[in-house]
Amino acid sequence: MRVVIAEDAAVLRELLAQMLTMRGHEVAAAVADADALRAAVAEHRPDVTVVDIRMPPTHTDDGLRAAIDIRRDHPGTGVLLFSQYVETKYATRLLAEGSAGVGYLLKERVANVAEFTDALARVAAGGTALDPEVVTQLAGAGRRTEEIASLTGREREVLTLMAEGRSNAAIAQSLHVSAGTVEKHVAAIFGKLGLPASEDQNRRVLAVIRYLHRD
Amino acid sequence: MREVLPACTRRRAWAEAAYCLLSAVPALAGFLFVVVCLALGSALTLTLIGAVLGVLFLVTGLSLACGLGTLQRRLAQGLLGVRVAEPAGPRPAGGLFARTEARLRDGAAWRAVAYVLVRLPLAMVGLYAVSWWAVGAVNVIAPIRWAFTPDDLNLVTPLPWGGSPHVHSLPGALGTALVGCAILLVAPWLTRAAATADLALVRALLAPGRLADRVRDLEETRALAVDDANARLRRLERDLHDGAQVRLVALAMSLDMVREQLDDRDRPELRRLVETARDNATEALTELRDLSRGLHPPALDGGLPDALTTLAARSSLPVDVTTDVPERPTPAIESLAYFCAAELLTNVIKHSGATRCGMELAAGDGTLRLRVTDDGRGGARLVDEGGLAGLVQRVRTVDGTLEVTSPEGGPTRVTVDLPLHA
Repeated sequence: MRVVIAEDAAVLRELLAQMLTMRGHEVAAAVADADALRAAVAEHRPDVTVVDIRMPPTHTDDGLRAAIDIRRDHPGTGVLLFSQYVETKYATRLLAEGSAGVGYLLKERVANVAEFTDALARVAAGGTALDPEVVTQLAGAGRRTEEIASLTGREREVLTLMAEGRSNAAIAQSLHVSAGTVEKHVAAIFGKLGLPASEDQNRRVLAVIRYLHRD
Repeated sequence: MREVLPACTRRRAWAEAAYCLLSAVPALAGFLFVVVCLALGSALTLTLIGAVLGVLFLVTGLSLACGLGTLQRRLAQGLLGVRVAEPAGPRPAGGLFARTEARLRDGAAWRAVAYVLVRLPLAMVGLYAVSWWAVGAVNVIAPIRWAFTPDDLNLVTPLPWGGSPHVHSLPGALGTALVGCAILLVAPWLTRAAATADLALVRALLAPGRLADRVRDLEETRALAVDDANARLRRLERDLHDGAQVRLVALAMSLDMVREQLDDRDRPELRRLVETARDNATEALTELRDLSRGLHPPALDGGLPDALTTLAARSSLPVDVTTDVPERPTPAIESLAYFCAAELLTNVIKHSGATRCGMELAAGDGTLRLRVTDDGRGGARLVDEGGLAGLVQRVRTVDGTLEVTSPEGGPTRVTVDLPLHA
């Protein structure tokens, strides 16, 4: 993957670059603020960017705004936002345009390098990677508690993994069950929530998110 | 020895004389300007057309009087070593209109005007006292003057009715010198009397006197303290975010990279150790995240409505949030309102057994009102040392109020009213 990193803390920026390089990816640029990120993406056309939300100049949501611009101007570049907090409003703003090629993870997820790079690869390939925390909060904000309550514990786990952007095979692997079992769970979830069944990963995630965040 | 020396040789006497002399000029000029400004201002304000100009004159007069007051306090401190505290000026907030109104209502400024008016006759008395020094000095050097101009020598008297008798002889000149010494002995006591009277006036009219002034002063310093405390918490949160949290993320990541490099077969115990270290770093991050959220929730940067929505989203209970805040309160008030909402929501979840919670936020007439309702079992009471009592204490630091209505069997309604500005 060709990656552009935008993170204002030098320690983390350099470590991320080193880690990705060690794993055989190409770090085209590593920048420290939102404007430099826009310029770097326009110049290098990377497969994916890793973007800190809180960056100069305003130290609020500069990274998020840059991410939305990048998704609009360079559809070929995936955006993985990462932040020390999960904010529902950030998640909804990011997902307003669709769930393809976007991700939103807590920073501490880089403590599992392998999973982090997997998520990055998913986003680069046009998929989705949402932090479980994001999913929990979206579910809370959407106030669809009665239907969520009708799901079994296992089905809720599958729903969370689905919203994170995982395929049935990946879900099966992480829950240590067969792919057929997952398919059954997915069908049950779509049934209980009244959603149209779908095989397409992005439409699947989008359906779940729309559902979770419906007022 | 000191006791025997005449008063006029002491430093303090000179300082008092200098004080009387120096403050006479601003007293006279200030009196004229302030009286003219206030007279013009009052007259013009009465006419409809000149009202704006009139108010301008009034404000100028008041500001001038305040300036003179400051000058006088500095003279008293510089020359006499007497420190008189400065009254708190009007609140600097707001536009031209607000500042004008604050100045017109400023009690300290009107007292400064009173000082300038009463000061004039006193300044004249002081000037007269200083003249005793000059007259005394002129008489003391009479023998020397006689040596140069023996035909034209007078005994100068400081008294208005004394006249100035001619002196013709050397003994007369020596006698004049003696009279001069006597005058110099008296002069310091006159200047002291004038200076002391003036100081009494300064203390009475130019110091922060009344209770109302003190209360206003305390209100302002309290608002500053509240804002400052809030700003500190914010800074602390930012420092944690940019410092310790980043380091911990980097640490956890490095440890995981090390773990990947280790081969499970030859050093399994080492690999487990690194794994534990990484997990501890991740745990520390989670704890730190909760801690910083308690200092200053990042969602507050986008305003209270956003922050309350986020709070509701994180809650395990369904919360209906409605907000109507056209004017944004100061950051300290936003923080306080947010923490009230968080604490009340926690109470609802912990104690009420409610199935739904409502959160209303509205601003109007300088007040921010937060109302948290639930359909729980009710019976919530304000008890000492309880969570609600703690909230009441926090709300009171900005003159806010907290009311609880919670009949047995519910529903419970808690209303928090806060000013928009601390």
